[in-house]
Parts: sequence; C-alpha cells; structure tokens
Amino acid sequence: MKEKLTFEDNMTKLGNIVTELEKGDIPLEKAVELYGEGVKLSAACRKQLDEAQIKITEDDGTAPSEK
Amino acid sequence: MPVITVTQINKYIGSILKNDRNIQGVMVRGEITDYVKHYRSGHVYFTLKDSESSLKAVMFASAASRLRFEPEDGMSVIVSGSIGVYERDGAYQLYVNDIIPEGAGAAGAALEQLKKKLAKEGIFDTAHKRPIPPIPKKIGAVTSLSGAAVRDIINVLSRRYPLCEIYAVNAQVQGEGAAESVCSGILKAEAAGCDVIIVGRGGGSSEDLSAFNTEKVAYAVYNCKVPVISAVGHETDYTIADLAADLRAPTPSAAAELAAPDMASLYEKISILERRAERSVLAQLDKASDRFIALNARLSAQSPENRLKLTAEKLAGLDKRRETAFSRYFERIEHQLSERIAKLDSLSPLKVLSRGYSLVYKDEKLLSSSETLEKGDRIKLTFGSGGAEAEITDKW
Repeated sequence: MKEKLTFEDNMTKLGNIVTELEKGDIPLEKAVELYGEGVKLSAACRKQLDEAQIKITEDDGTAPSEK
Repeated sequence: MPVITVTQINKYIGSILKNDRNIQGVMVRGEITDYVKHYRSGHVYFTLKDSESSLKAVMFASAASRLRFEPEDGMSVIVSGSIGVYERDGAYQLYVNDIIPEGAGAAGAALEQLKKKLAKEGIFDTAHKRPIPPIPKKIGAVTSLSGAAVRDIINVLSRRYPLCEIYAVNAQVQGEGAAESVCSGILKAEAAGCDVIIVGRGGGSSEDLSAFNTEKVAYAVYNCKVPVISAVGHETDYTIADLAADLRAPTPSAAAELAAPDMASLYEKISILERRAERSVLAQLDKASDRFIALNARLSAQSPENRLKLTAEKLAGLDKRRETAFSRYFERIEHQLSERIAKLDSLSPLKVLSRGYSLVYKDEKLLSSSETLEKGDRIKLTFGSGGAEAEITDKW
C-alpha cells in the first residue's frame, strides 16, 4: 500500500520540481509534465492544510493517551 | 621554674593546636567582615564573626584563586580550614581552604559557578545550537500536564499550525525530583519521534525554577538529538536550561510560535512555488514558440513552391545575362567587321584608280609591264570611272 505523503514531503517534492523547472534546460514536454505534477502537489498541499486536524497525545507517565 | 622565650611559647602553642583534631579540618559558619585581598600577593584576609565573637582568617592566594565567586563583607559563609598560630603576632587564626556561600547569596553564587563550569564544558556554545525544523511534524512539550503552559502551547499550535501532532509529556517542574522528571520527559519526547521539543513551565519565582538550573537538565537539553526550545517563563534571568537550549522563548506561548510556522505563511509558500512553476513553464513555452517561429520561417523558405519561384528567378536572371552577353558579342563583331570593311575599302584598286591610276588589260589580262606588248596591239583601259580602248603606237 502506498504510504500517504506528509505535507512536508509534498512541499519538498514541489520545491524540487520548481527548482528543476527553473533550470530551464529540460525538454518542453518534460517541463509540461513536471508542471502538471507540481499543480497536483500544490493542490495536495493546500488540501492537507485545509483539512489539518491537530493531534494531541498526552504521556502522563502511565500509557500515552490520545485526545 | 625554667624561663622560656616568646618564640618558644608561640611555637609550643602552635604545635598543640596542630595536633588537636577538633580544630584541624573544620568547617566554620560565620559572616565575612573586614575582607581584604592583598593586591600583590593575592592572599586574602578577613574576619569571620557571628553574633558574639570573631575569628581572624587568612586564605592564601593558591586557594583564593580557586574560588568561583568573590567573597564580600556581610556574606554568610561556611569556611573550611584549620586553626593555627601566627607566631609573629602570637595570634591564632583560621587558615582557609575553601569558602562556600550560604543562604540566598549562596544559591546565586553556586548558580554562577555552575554556569561557568557548563560554559567551559561547551554546553552553551552557539556552534551547538541547531535550527528549528521549518515544518515540524511532531512537537514535544515537556511540562506539567496540569499547568497552564501545556494549555497555552496546545492553544497556540491548534490555531496556528493544526498540521502537527503534539506529544505532551508530563514532567514535574518543581520540588524534589523535578530535574530528573524533566530529564526523563525530554528523553521520552525524543524517543516518541518529536522533531522539536519545548521544555518549560509557566512563570515562577526564582526558587521554583531550580530544576531548570541544574547540570542534569542542562546536559539533557544539550544531549537531546532534536532541537529544544526553552520556555521557562522568566523574563529577567536566564536559567541554565535557557542557555543550553537551541532557542529560548520568554513564555510557553512564544515557544509554540517559535516551534512551528503559521498556516498563513505555508499557504503563502505554496502560492509562491505555484507562481514560480508557472513562470518558468511559461518562459519555456515562450522560448519554444520563438524557436518554432524561427524554424518555420526557415522551413517555408525551403518549400517546393518557393524553390520553383527561386529557380524561375534564377533562370530569368541567366536569360537576361545571356541576352546582354549575346548582344555585346554581336556589337563587337559588327564593330570589327565595319573596321575591316573600311580597311578593305582603302585597299581596293578602284580607290587607287580614283587617285588617277589606270588598269591596262590585253586580251582580258591585266598588264603590269609593257614587255608583251607590240606595236599595233589593242588594249583596254579602265579608269577610276569609265574606260577606253587604245592602240599601241610605241613601246619602251
């Protein structure tokens, strides 16, 4: 099963794509393909932020409990 | 009764004191007065006193230089040393090895001493300070779970950065065993996979912060594998934990703000990346379309229609060149011809005749000598214009 990428992973990938695109020495077809990927990633990042739900675990010395 | 000298008596008393274990290696509590440090030798002289009496004390430079604080008048101290006699004055005094401050001043001085020691050991080195991860996943909070600090941290992070997970570890922040509790809390948060840890408590009086002023906690913070933000909540004085931490926050809320970015800034970051991606792809498209236009122009220049047109033009050009070449050639020939005709004309015998010469024929033969002529021969004469027949009457 594909592991869900974290926001940071997606941001890193997006950043890498932008850097790659900005080099400007890649074939146009590849650039357009990368751009498409970038658009998907940025949408995923936005979605992750939109849907972010803080998770709190408390470890009071007994067993850690989620709240 | 034998008579003895002053020196002898002082030496004797000195030896008695030296052999009395009760006053060798003693610890004496008192307050420092008349404190003097001899500027050249570095020896220190003072009087130790309590409410009823006083005791002269001397601390030699070698011992005095080891003190981590500067003693001063009025300071309550415990002094360790031995009683001995100063023979020159016939006075006994305390020869001091060490001075330990006592009471409120003591805590401060001891803290200063610990700070110096830890600084020497590199615990506070800026080079060891690590940056806070820009997008932390799991933020540890080591503090009392019943205190306000953990609520503040949760509130701030819920509002600003709900993307994260908070791992809150309960730690006893004051009283007996607080330092150990804080240390084990740091280890737990580290083991739970936190990528940044906030260690702290709400504000408190300086006594309440003692756990954060221990060597143990300093080392736990220093040795933690992930960055630690201290939030001891005491504005005026930095605790040792503050100094050892990678980042110091004045309050737990501030620590939470320092630990994580704001959602708004993350949205902004995404937008910036989007714009950069778009710009570079558009630039690439522009470049490609420019290239296409240029190539297309070159290609259409090579199309069959264009080539036919070019060939026709070339042919027409050649034709014209041929025509001019031919006409020039003919002109030249004509010119030459007329020149030659003129020349020919000048050489024509008719021309000579017109200058007064005549041609003489006999029997249709042109004569150039009179040799073959006889008297009575008939000859024909041709002049420049016209002719005549004549008879030879004489010859020579």
